[in-house]
Amino acid sequence: MSAPAAEKTGSTVRRDPHAALEIIDVSVKFGGITAVSDVSLSARRGQITGLIGPNGAGKTTTFNVITGLQEPTNGRVFIGEREVSHLPPYRRSRLGMARTFQRLEVFGSLSVYENVLAAAEFHHSWSDDATPPRLVANEIVERVGLSTVSEERVDALPTGIARLVELGRALATRPDLLLLDEVGSGLNHEETAALGDLMIELTRDGTAILLVEHDVELVMRVCDRIFVLDFGRLIANGTPEQIQKDPAVQAAYLGADTEEQK
Amino acid sequence: MEIFLSYTVVGIVAGCVYALIATGLVVTYNTTGIFNFAHGAIAMVGAYTYWQFQDDFQGWGINPVISLILVLFVLAPLFGLIVERVLMRPLQGASVDLTLVVTLGLLLFLVGVAQIAWDPNVTRNLPSFFNGAGFNIGYVQVSYHEVVAVVATVAIAISLRILFNNTRTGIAMRAVVDNPDLLAMAGGRPVRVQQLAWALSCSLAALAGILLAPINRLDILLLTLLVVDGYAAAIIGRLRNLPLAVGGAMAIGLGQNYLNGYAHSGFLNRIQFTIPMIVLFIMLILLPQDRLKTASFSGAVAPRVAGLKSSLIWGAVLIVGTYLVSLSLSDINLRTGASGFALALVLLSLLLLTGYGGMVSICQMSMAGLGAIAMGHVASGGSLLGVLAAIGLSGAVGALLALPTLKMRGLYLALATFAFATVMDQAVFTQVFGTGGNLAIGRPHIPGIPTQSDQAWMMVCCIVFTAAAVAVLAVRRSSFGRKLVAVNDSPAACATLGVNVNYTKLIVFTSSAMMCGLAGVLIGGVTKQVDALTFPALLSLVALLLARVGGINTATGVLLGAFTFALFPVFVPHLPHILHNQFLLTGIAAVSVGRDPNGIGGRIAEGAAYLRKAFGMEAKPQFVATGPVAGTAAAVFLEEEANLVSAGR
Repeated sequence: MSAPAAEKTGSTVRRDPHAALEIIDVSVKFGGITAVSDVSLSARRGQITGLIGPNGAGKTTTFNVITGLQEPTNGRVFIGEREVSHLPPYRRSRLGMARTFQRLEVFGSLSVYENVLAAAEFHHSWSDDATPPRLVANEIVERVGLSTVSEERVDALPTGIARLVELGRALATRPDLLLLDEVGSGLNHEETAALGDLMIELTRDGTAILLVEHDVELVMRVCDRIFVLDFGRLIANGTPEQIQKDPAVQAAYLGADTEEQK
Repeated sequence: MEIFLSYTVVGIVAGCVYALIATGLVVTYNTTGIFNFAHGAIAMVGAYTYWQFQDDFQGWGINPVISLILVLFVLAPLFGLIVERVLMRPLQGASVDLTLVVTLGLLLFLVGVAQIAWDPNVTRNLPSFFNGAGFNIGYVQVSYHEVVAVVATVAIAISLRILFNNTRTGIAMRAVVDNPDLLAMAGGRPVRVQQLAWALSCSLAALAGILLAPINRLDILLLTLLVVDGYAAAIIGRLRNLPLAVGGAMAIGLGQNYLNGYAHSGFLNRIQFTIPMIVLFIMLILLPQDRLKTASFSGAVAPRVAGLKSSLIWGAVLIVGTYLVSLSLSDINLRTGASGFALALVLLSLLLLTGYGGMVSICQMSMAGLGAIAMGHVASGGSLLGVLAAIGLSGAVGALLALPTLKMRGLYLALATFAFATVMDQAVFTQVFGTGGNLAIGRPHIPGIPTQSDQAWMMVCCIVFTAAAVAVLAVRRSSFGRKLVAVNDSPAACATLGVNVNYTKLIVFTSSAMMCGLAGVLIGGVTKQVDALTFPALLSLVALLLARVGGINTATGVLLGAFTFALFPVFVPHLPHILHNQFLLTGIAAVSVGRDPNGIGGRIAEGAAYLRKAFGMEAKPQFVATGPVAGTAAAVFLEEEANLVSAGR
């Protein structure tokens, strides 16, 4: 009931009319602790948007708010034109959003291929995409480079590969908006480079990617725009060049880097 | 006013007993993280042991005070120590489902032990303290027994409060569940603390049992389940907060007795005994549940799912094998075999719901009971229409039950479904069948197919089970099956991939209930009549444990589990007398074999995979979940055995 009304006013609230995703003034409090505080950000079609910050900065919490797994204390979420603040997670993802998880959420008792196939079947069941799920799964498994392990049970795989399974699963739903939570950690140098290429390739089809990543090199290479979180607050946003020069970012990272290197 | 006062007195006493029960539960949950389902059974055994010591005629006639001291301060704590050492200590850090299996197994074990030690057909009386003497306040009678109950509860509540908040041991008890290793590093002794908790908890349980038995009746099942009523109070305290749990216990005790006093007839009066269970159910719904989280009742590495070809082949083998065996069986054994397949169908519903879907249910027998009721009431009890009605009614109730419980997992779901089963026992089955009454159930007439003889009915049961098993395996291999497993593995990921997790669970819960409804028809058809004791809550619990022991994620496993139980009357003459109890054996099996999440069926699947490899067959173990092969072997063997036994008589 409230959703259509909110949608109407939505267009006046939104700040970035071209955004595939926009969140406005999102705050999350756990008990007395504020995990995310008044964060607004957006991700555009055909671009890779970075979301970086030290551990505990609120990146994953922000992802959870966007996907609907975490109810925010405050704030609104838009996917395209549509306000989704009050939609359950599955309704949001049916608008064309998919994500990966920092703490793995694979289907451990299924094989790699079945993980991707299941996602393709989900998509097939709620979208008007008529492509047979098995074709989609075959293509995706190939594309993310999992062909050699496609019959392995996922809970037997190393973390880095399991993250690629999550990526493949997300891609199998043909998302317009892709949220990647540290999908590159656990990968070696070549694999990371391939991952970067894959992301850039995806944006050419118009996909919007929101990327949480600790690998600064990768972030600076692929991102069009970067938002920086520290202690739940947005401390900077801009192009990779602007972010690298930003004194506030340097302070946050220099302060946190020594801890993270462990 | 006198009426109000006297119901208040009785209500306070009931509340005190509930408070004692809840306190015992909270103590162990707080220190070990284990919810002890067997608490009620421990209370029951405590009451019986006390009776044994002090009864002058059938017991040993020891002075009641000495008996009481022996039971409460020596035997109960000792039992707690043994339980801690043998069963609970190895569960440190174990998953919720394993703690469920072990504590439920302990419950059944104790019921079995009590039934062997104290023949349930003999009436026993446990007198009140001071032989029921008391005094009057105005017109209200108060017995010293009731005074003892209240004083003991208040004293215990105060001393526990002091123990937990003001002593080193108590603070260690609270610390130990959060992080036993950290406590050990800080110089605490986690094991000692947990031993103390179990000893204390068992004493509290025994005291509750001894106080409760004279007020009600010394009856094994009644006492075990009455104590379960106290679980509601523990849940009100969220299993952690003692004052809240005690307050909840008082509210339940008083509310129940005011209903008894003021609603003399009608619906409210009838539901008074189910008040604690209803409270428990509502509290569980209101409790904040874990957000979409991962957990699983079945094994980490489930056996491969049988393919269509292999499940069809082995299904045919099972049917033909059963037919050949059935040719030479007596009517009694034909009915035993039929009830085995009917029970297997109940367990098969758990394969779908729990094995694949990860949702624990302790009310499958109640669902079967609903099916039997529909069958008996529609079209004079013997038509296919009745079968449809049975499936429909169970499915509908299953869906209604699923709606509020969809968000629950693990322990909470187990408690909620068990509460439902208990309410069905007390408020529905006794009403529908009447106390001591029964309902005639016919075997449906199917044109052109014989169904009426015992042999025909056994074949009907066998074929229905086999068809259902093939169907369940086919569902598991389908896209819906993948969705089901995916929802169990990670509900959060499913939701972010566009899956309506609750809807998926609703469908599974409903289908599972429908299978139970059908099983109810089969069960009813075996004996041709059912009564209030055909589908007790306790049997739902047995069903869950049997499925787990046999293997809750293979069709072979559930068939094995069901037949082990159903064939009990056949092989019992070969067992030593001390083991002549189904509950006892199921309990032992649960706490031993039930620890392996894949059960016996999983072992068979491993063995088959090994053999295939050894014989150089295709390395990929596609149909290693051998389908009903082992079931057939076991069935053939045991049925022949049955034949020998019946021939020998």
